[in-house]
Amino acid sequence: MIMKEQVKEKTILEKLEDVPREVLYGLLLLAFIIPMLNPIGFPVPTSDAVKKWYSTIDALPKGSVIMVDFGYSGGGEPELGPMAVAVYHHIFRKGGLKVIAMSTSIDGPLLWDKAMAEVKPEQYGAKYGVDYLHIGYIAGGETAMAAVGKDLRATTSTDYKGSSLDQYTVMKGIKDAASFNLLIVYTTGGDQSEGWVRQWYTPYRIPYLCAVLAMMVPTMLPYQKAGQIVSLVSGAQSGEMEFLVKVPARGIKSADVITVTHLLVIAFVVLGNIAYFGKKAKGGG
Amino acid sequence: MSLIIRRQIPIVIVFVTAVLVMTDYFLKIPGTGPVVRDLQNWGVILTAFTLGYGAVNLFYLHTRHISRRTPGQWPFSIWLLLMIVVFTVVGVTYGATSKQYSWMYNSSYFALSATVYSSLGFYMTSGVYRTLRPKSVESTLLVITGVIALMRNAPALAVSAPILISMDSWISSIPTTSAQRGIMIGAALGAIALGIRTMIGKETGFLGRLTEAEKGA
Repeated sequence: MIMKEQVKEKTILEKLEDVPREVLYGLLLLAFIIPMLNPIGFPVPTSDAVKKWYSTIDALPKGSVIMVDFGYSGGGEPELGPMAVAVYHHIFRKGGLKVIAMSTSIDGPLLWDKAMAEVKPEQYGAKYGVDYLHIGYIAGGETAMAAVGKDLRATTSTDYKGSSLDQYTVMKGIKDAASFNLLIVYTTGGDQSEGWVRQWYTPYRIPYLCAVLAMMVPTMLPYQKAGQIVSLVSGAQSGEMEFLVKVPARGIKSADVITVTHLLVIAFVVLGNIAYFGKKAKGGG
Repeated sequence: MSLIIRRQIPIVIVFVTAVLVMTDYFLKIPGTGPVVRDLQNWGVILTAFTLGYGAVNLFYLHTRHISRRTPGQWPFSIWLLLMIVVFTVVGVTYGATSKQYSWMYNSSYFALSATVYSSLGFYMTSGVYRTLRPKSVESTLLVITGVIALMRNAPALAVSAPILISMDSWISSIPTTSAQRGIMIGAALGAIALGIRTMIGKETGFLGRLTEAEKGA
């Protein structure tokens, strides 16, 4: 009897409900590769959050100073990297802004280098040490944020290359969190994205723009609704930012991939449910 | 004497430090600022030190695996130690932001970590396909919100059906935020309770291994 059950052929509904993993993964892989190699050019909506992020930077007066936390790790770079690159394009193109970066992730300085290689600040006339700088990885997570906010020079006296901060004109007049007009955070860590609210927004009221992994957005929503974050976006919205900044790159390409893969997932969910209800109607499910 | 050194003095240090940091954060009393600044910088230095200590500990642990030929482990331990040595030598010789170090990082760790993270997409797709079934009221709600979120997050679909954006926005703003606030407030209350218990010496986990008598002292 058991043997008979084992060799019993699956019905179509059973097959639809249990498509082998290999087939599913294979189709998903194609859904990744094809739009990446041949961009389809699907339309990209521009959400209010991305528009607000863009307009917040646009509204900064000349001479404003921005603190940027390059707090993502290598795993999160494909999602958050394009967003960081697009925003740097916007900042440099606008001009007249000082950008000081730091990293709460140990990978940060290397990923910042990678982003700068994509941005090519020199095309906008921006110079390292004059318009922008990276003060390196500061260990300690939330303690590091608090320490830099209280007294940046007491926490680190060098940039990420080990050169003294005193030699850079961009550092002139920058002492603590009160010296900054805006905080931008790209992070793959929940402690980091929440820590900046506690250590920079609450004590110093520094306007905060936050970019996190898509799956982290729900945990950060209460901060945005409470007004502690000016705008919250996910790295998956990089394409929207590239569209606004008019520098199409990896984000726009990945928007095509996101559309195709999501359609595939929806199709499989529908398929699975048709099979589920079909079996139920036949008295099986 | 041992009890005083192992239990009472650390608790007093924690209590004084916590009171100072909280006073500076909430009350901004003049005079506490420079002290707290120094404490925070000590924290940064100590964390940086623990990274080095972690590497030494890793070295020690995997050297033991190699010397004992732990089955299924020791070849990987050799590889790990080799990588630690190679990265350290290149980092110290050329600098941690040098082209050589960046090339090594981008060609190995960066590529691997991005691949591992991306592979989650495959598992998630399989999981969503196999589990999103309206078998009860709760799971029906999950299916509906899940499908709306999936459709909204497909950029081209959101453009062609803007109502998806409004629906997703409502789900994010009302049910998700409300539930998340509840979770956060609960966790914050728990953290406050834990903090107070640690300050007054009721929680002794941070003191390391203590005997039952020492814990209760």
